[in-house]
Amino acid sequence: MTATVTRTRTAARVVDAVKIYGKGDTEVRALDGVSVDFPVGRFTAIMGPSGSGKSTLMHCAAGLDTLTSGSALIGDTDLSALDDRRLTLLRRERIGFVFQAFNLIPTLTVAENITLPMDLAGERADREWLDALVDTVGLRDRLHHRPSELSGGQQQRVAVARAFGGRPDVVFADEPTGNLDSRSGEEVLRLLGRAVRQTDRTVVMVTHDPVAAAHADEVVFLADGRLVDRMEAPTADRVLDRLKAFDAKGART
Amino acid sequence: MGDTLRGSFDTMFAGANSGTDAVVRSSNVMTVSGESQGTRQPVRTDLVSKIEKTPGVAATVPNIQGAGQLVGSNGKPIGGQGPPTVAGNWIDDPELNPYQLAEGRTPARSGEVVVNRGAADKGGLKIGDRTVLRTPDPVKVTVVGLATFGGEDGMAQVTYTGMTQADAEKYLTPKPGEAASIQVRAGPGTSQQELVDALTPVLPKGVEAITGQESTEENQDMISGQFLNLFTTLLLVFSGIVLLVATFSIYNTFAIVIAQRTRENALLRALGASRRQIAGSTLAESAVVALVASAAGLLGGIGIAAGLQALFPLIGFPFPEGSLVISGVSMLLPLAVGLLVCIGSAVMPAVRAGRTAPLAALRETGVDHSAASRTRAYAGTGVVLAGIGIILVGVVASPSIWLAAAGAVLTLAAFVVLGPVASSLAVRILGRPLDRLPGVSGSLAKRNALRSPKRTAATATALMIGVAVVSLFTVFGASLKATMDQTVSRSFAGDVAVSAPAFGGGGSGLSPKLAPAIAAQPEVRTAVGLGKGIAEVDGAGRQLTVTDPVALGKAFDLGTVRGSLDGLGTDGMAVADTEADKRGWQAGSTAELAFADGQKRTFTVRAVFEQSELAGDYVITRDAWAPHRGQDSDTLIAVSFNDGVSTADGTAAVERTAAAYGNPEVQTRDEYAQAAAGAIDMMLTLVYALLALAVVIALLGIANTLTLAIHERTRELGLLRAVGQTRSQLRSMVRYESVLVAAFGTAGGLALGALLGWVLVKASEGAGDTAFAFAVPPVQLLVVALVGLVAGAVAGRRPARRAARLDVLRAIATE
Repeated sequence: MTATVTRTRTAARVVDAVKIYGKGDTEVRALDGVSVDFPVGRFTAIMGPSGSGKSTLMHCAAGLDTLTSGSALIGDTDLSALDDRRLTLLRRERIGFVFQAFNLIPTLTVAENITLPMDLAGERADREWLDALVDTVGLRDRLHHRPSELSGGQQQRVAVARAFGGRPDVVFADEPTGNLDSRSGEEVLRLLGRAVRQTDRTVVMVTHDPVAAAHADEVVFLADGRLVDRMEAPTADRVLDRLKAFDAKGART
Repeated sequence: MGDTLRGSFDTMFAGANSGTDAVVRSSNVMTVSGESQGTRQPVRTDLVSKIEKTPGVAATVPNIQGAGQLVGSNGKPIGGQGPPTVAGNWIDDPELNPYQLAEGRTPARSGEVVVNRGAADKGGLKIGDRTVLRTPDPVKVTVVGLATFGGEDGMAQVTYTGMTQADAEKYLTPKPGEAASIQVRAGPGTSQQELVDALTPVLPKGVEAITGQESTEENQDMISGQFLNLFTTLLLVFSGIVLLVATFSIYNTFAIVIAQRTRENALLRALGASRRQIAGSTLAESAVVALVASAAGLLGGIGIAAGLQALFPLIGFPFPEGSLVISGVSMLLPLAVGLLVCIGSAVMPAVRAGRTAPLAALRETGVDHSAASRTRAYAGTGVVLAGIGIILVGVVASPSIWLAAAGAVLTLAAFVVLGPVASSLAVRILGRPLDRLPGVSGSLAKRNALRSPKRTAATATALMIGVAVVSLFTVFGASLKATMDQTVSRSFAGDVAVSAPAFGGGGSGLSPKLAPAIAAQPEVRTAVGLGKGIAEVDGAGRQLTVTDPVALGKAFDLGTVRGSLDGLGTDGMAVADTEADKRGWQAGSTAELAFADGQKRTFTVRAVFEQSELAGDYVITRDAWAPHRGQDSDTLIAVSFNDGVSTADGTAAVERTAAAYGNPEVQTRDEYAQAAAGAIDMMLTLVYALLALAVVIALLGIANTLTLAIHERTRELGLLRAVGQTRSQLRSMVRYESVLVAAFGTAGGLALGALLGWVLVKASEGAGDTAFAFAVPPVQLLVVALVGLVAGAVAGRRPARRAARLDVLRAIATE
């Protein structure tokens, strides 16, 4: 029953999102009227060829960047109405991030990196939840190590733990497996998927890798700053085929 | 700046003395260490007639000189706080008189005087005004003329009063017929040297003739050599400190820049650049930076010198004529020093840049996070121990300033070596409060400061040196004050003191008639006047205290006295025990004193006393001194009141009496001690002003290092912002780090400064005879500490603001 209720709610969405970089001749429309919902409890992948605007979409939806026009919402909060401070607090409390690389503060231990957003807020972390998370990502014996003592895959798993540490409304992952070998990448993706399905979290992931996208519940395809397709229950092959179709189209024009 | 001052004084003297071709004076001069000027025996004025008959002489005048302090129209004495107050006979021959009459007429009758215009302006005196000249007996005088010196209103702040020759002989010399020197002008066709050669055979033994040229040079040396050399030396010492501080900042900046360029340099190496080429290009870069900065600094310096020249007259210090003097040396020296310092600082980083392995291009940026090496720790500790050991030997075992100084320098070096070792520990301890702050910003700041111990240490060292010197002077000043306080409270048994200015020369002292006049007041039990005399003992000049020894014993605590102060008579003296021990004297020993008038007398030691801080080492009676003295004056009168007389009543009575004697200052015991301390405060203020520059440079260094560190950590800062660090949190994080580094530098500086202060105090004590009190002023040092911390916060402001302005997305995307 909870499932049906949450399905109807959206964790994040953008409406008529337009993002323009530069001016005049150098003007680039990175987003050209994109509207998309990211429902609660789902794992959504954003795909598209490079330059399609997929990273921009994520950054704007996550409050890291501002739209030229249109609106981006987290839950019911319109991000365009927030100043830098409120945006920061919103990111801290309601959003989790996993970046492609350089996710961790080198001076902090693994445990401290995981609780960083809560520590910044001066809040006490939910012990039980964190314990469970640490077990999920399998880093219990590494809690007091420094990031430089971890492998790339381990570092990304710490980043995943941090992203979910504060029970955010939505976790944005920007090419989380881009710097990893396929086995480590697979582990990180499975972690993301498990977090969504076991704890009813929401994940939005930007990727260009069809294998990674196959871990998602749904894939949205962007091209030239527009939403061009959506695909439920994707597999790597179907996603690859879909992308090939873009390329063919791209080659024709 | 120093050049300009010196040049101006030189032209002034050359102009002033150009008319005098030869100076005849006694060759017998006596100096006491610590006194700026020797005491020269006078010459007989009847030599004038003998000199006049010498062929080649055109004119001869005696030059009588003494101390005479004018009282201004407001009843207050003019000057006397340092620069001399001179009185003499007005010399009518304009060629022989350095002063030229500018207004009015020359003194013709007794009581008429010419005053230099600077002094007249200061005291509000006009031609026709009647006032008092303290010689130190008050003499009523009428101003009839105003004079200028070398074209200026006066020579610096020296005041000059010219009187008739009869008056000058009467008031300024103990016996008529004596003068300080005789000035001679040569006839046409006779050179200065010819004149001197002609005069020399005529003169009696003990009297010499020198050319006007030599006399001018001596005068110049006296001013340039003492005042200006002190000034220049002081400036050079502080420039040295500033440059040292700058060296650390420059070194640090280059080290960081090189670290950030590791990839670039590695790529160059991979493409075939040799080590030498990379090191060379880095050094060339530093040379260019040094040239530009030194040139800018030089221009700024010339500007400031010009500004000071314009400013000096405004604060009452007439700057002698002469335009800004910029010598080639003073242009090239700063440039050379700047170049040397900058390139020198860059050598180590450049060599390191040259060593970059080509493979480093493929690695992550190689910021040097290495902790301090073990060797460094051991070496540093060894040097510290050696330094402190030498200090202890120099202070305690066999007192020697040089040994103590060597130890101090070694300790300073050790602090620099140990910096990186100490920085981790110090930052952990000092940063402890940061961990407790809400949010992690404080704790992050602490860890950032811990990242690169070497860098943190180098940054803090610059501040440490500045703070160390500041605290050194603070501690030393406080100790000096405590010593004075102790001295006064221990030795001075009187209730009030009447004193001529306690600090510096100038003034005419106190009339010897004042002490008996005060003693005659009903409120007063005793009043004892102390004068100063000079004599040679075993060939070295010694200061004598000329007084009534019995009264001295009552007004001052002399400690245990062996022998008797009664009846020293004209051939007895009292000697401090330290001096007596040194010479193996006891009560009953005899010693020969040679006086400035050339006479030698045998004195018997009749008493040996213990406390000599205020009484002096040698005490003789007025009667014993009278035949040998010049102008008669006291420098201090100690007054004690009868029982039951309140300090206020007593003071009022003394002031009433003193008013008739030119209004000298009457101070209670505390005021007397404070007046002495006030001079120290003044000196400290000057020192602080000069050191502020070093501290500012150190802070610029901190700001610079932080800015570079922020550049290095761009991605990290972006990540922090992305996961929820607000701008203000980020700002405080950077500021905390800055404060932490400053705290480390300040703490190290305070410790080092206190230690060096202790060494200086103890070494001075060991070298001198007087007991020195060591005092650590807690309030002042706390202020220094707070200033250090606040300054750290200020230094962090700009880098913090810059960090907060980072665009989150761009920061994350930075490679």
